[in-house]
Amino acid sequence: MKINLEILDCAFIRAEKEIEDLQTKKLVPKMVTRRRLTRAAKIVIYLADQVNFTKGRIVYGNNFGELNATANIINAIKDKESISPTHFQNSVYNTAVSYLSILHANQEEILTISSGDNTAKNVLKLGAVKALQGDTLLLLVTETLNIDKIEEVNHCIDYLECGAALKVRLSSDSPNVDPTKIQKIKGLPLSVQEIFALAKNLNKQKKNIIEVTL
Amino acid sequence: MLTKIDNKVYITATSSATCAGNNNQELFNSVIKGISGIRQDSNYFLGASPAIGTLKTRDDFYDVLITQCRNILETSSLNDFSDTLLIIGSSVGGMAKTEEIYFKTGSYEQIDPKYHNIQTIATVLNSTFNFYDDISFSTACTSSSNAIGYAYEVLSQGLYKNALVVGADSLSKTTVGGFLSLGVLSSEAAKPFDISREGMNVAEGIACLLLESEAKESSVEVCGVGYSSDAYHMTHPNAEGLGAKSAMKRALLSAGIEAEKIDYINAHGTGTKANDNAEAQAIASLFGMDPYVSSTKSVTGHTLGASGALEAIISMMIIEEGILPKNLFLDKAENREISLLKESKKHKVEYILSNAFAFGGNNCSLIFGKVK
Repeated sequence: MKINLEILDCAFIRAEKEIEDLQTKKLVPKMVTRRRLTRAAKIVIYLADQVNFTKGRIVYGNNFGELNATANIINAIKDKESISPTHFQNSVYNTAVSYLSILHANQEEILTISSGDNTAKNVLKLGAVKALQGDTLLLLVTETLNIDKIEEVNHCIDYLECGAALKVRLSSDSPNVDPTKIQKIKGLPLSVQEIFALAKNLNKQKKNIIEVTL
Repeated sequence: MLTKIDNKVYITATSSATCAGNNNQELFNSVIKGISGIRQDSNYFLGASPAIGTLKTRDDFYDVLITQCRNILETSSLNDFSDTLLIIGSSVGGMAKTEEIYFKTGSYEQIDPKYHNIQTIATVLNSTFNFYDDISFSTACTSSSNAIGYAYEVLSQGLYKNALVVGADSLSKTTVGGFLSLGVLSSEAAKPFDISREGMNVAEGIACLLLESEAKESSVEVCGVGYSSDAYHMTHPNAEGLGAKSAMKRALLSAGIEAEKIDYINAHGTGTKANDNAEAQAIASLFGMDPYVSSTKSVTGHTLGASGALEAIISMMIIEEGILPKNLFLDKAENREISLLKESKKHKVEYILSNAFAFGGNNCSLIFGKVK
């Protein structure tokens, strides 16, 4: 089964360690909300703003979840210290898009998947199935791996923080962009590749249609 | 909003393992008779003995997981899973293994990322079975409800031949300690909807459901799904249950039935002050006193990402057996505007609505019905 999607807008961001200006102060004026945000939450809020998406259905993917919150929890347990409730509530995989929904009072369906290295591919598939309903969706991927001692386990990823967004809707037009022919970006986590590479390489001046094979 | 689509979708085979039973029959017997699998346990967090639910079997979690999928093959008409989309729902994935290594070595070096993340469940199953494709949902406690919702959508639209939904979450120090830090764990088996309820019981569980477009003997139909977001708070539901109500309304719309048709609601009913009050208000405002309501989490505990799939199996067995489960340990209800069952009772059931709500205000309601 093949489903065609029109990419209405796209955005991407990455850094080897930490992305510097995510405009969080401007985008999240309330300090009480801003101070609880995870790095992934700040990235998805930035990306959603870049593609001008506030309300509607969202499909989000990440491979390793909220690694910093998780690391803080297991270190607290190891050191026999108390666990921070904020770290725990921020440790679920759907944390980032939940903060995004709260920020924009977006009460629509918001799904989070985590499919290892195939996460971005599956975000495209899930997004394509959901798009059959005819609405405009936001597809998001992030990874936030910039934690203490990450070098103990990371041997191949150069960009520890990255994210990309595609604003899409169903299309009956023929595909004119082949995601499989877009060059992969070296040093990025495989889990974000397909969506990041699309966002980085699309010509925004023309209509971009991709074909998603289930 | 989902539109009504042509193909019907049925649950045709199921298998489960929980603290309340090593299989579906043991589980349902525990649910109906009120035999709780919840016990105090001091192994998961230093200086605390919350009441939690560990698998009844002592076998390795992943061996039990594989066994459940083998049970599906043995009880279904499938020879293998080569045409099957595997849809996982899990909130913790391989966290228990990560903890085991990290607490032993104090280093991340020996942690294999493939056995840390949510995809761990699919990785384990793919090492034994050959699936057409797989996808893993992780939306905390709605994970496997969203997985069933997706299976319903793709099968009703004829996009895949069949789908195996697997809800699986094991216990870990992170989840037990984390819920302790939020002050929502009970020191005894949970008392959902009771005025004296202390909180919830974290539990582990595995629930597998095969969904197909053709009914088999004793199949149950998946009639609809409704999704919503509270957009309110990371851990607290909207106090009036507006997000929950929205998910239930959308499920009714998706199923194409009126609220009056629902005979029984399997509530999310965790036993926390915030959830039960909000959910009861949402049910009362949409359904009034018509459907019977109970939570089965006093018996099974809250199996987190597995709970939606587990409660789908319980719902299926309720429809098959025609017996509604009681709210075990319910003495004095906080909310009297819904029909909370104090005793299990025989009752003809056409439609059941099953709720799941999660951190981040993620809501999913499913409707199951008798095959006509």
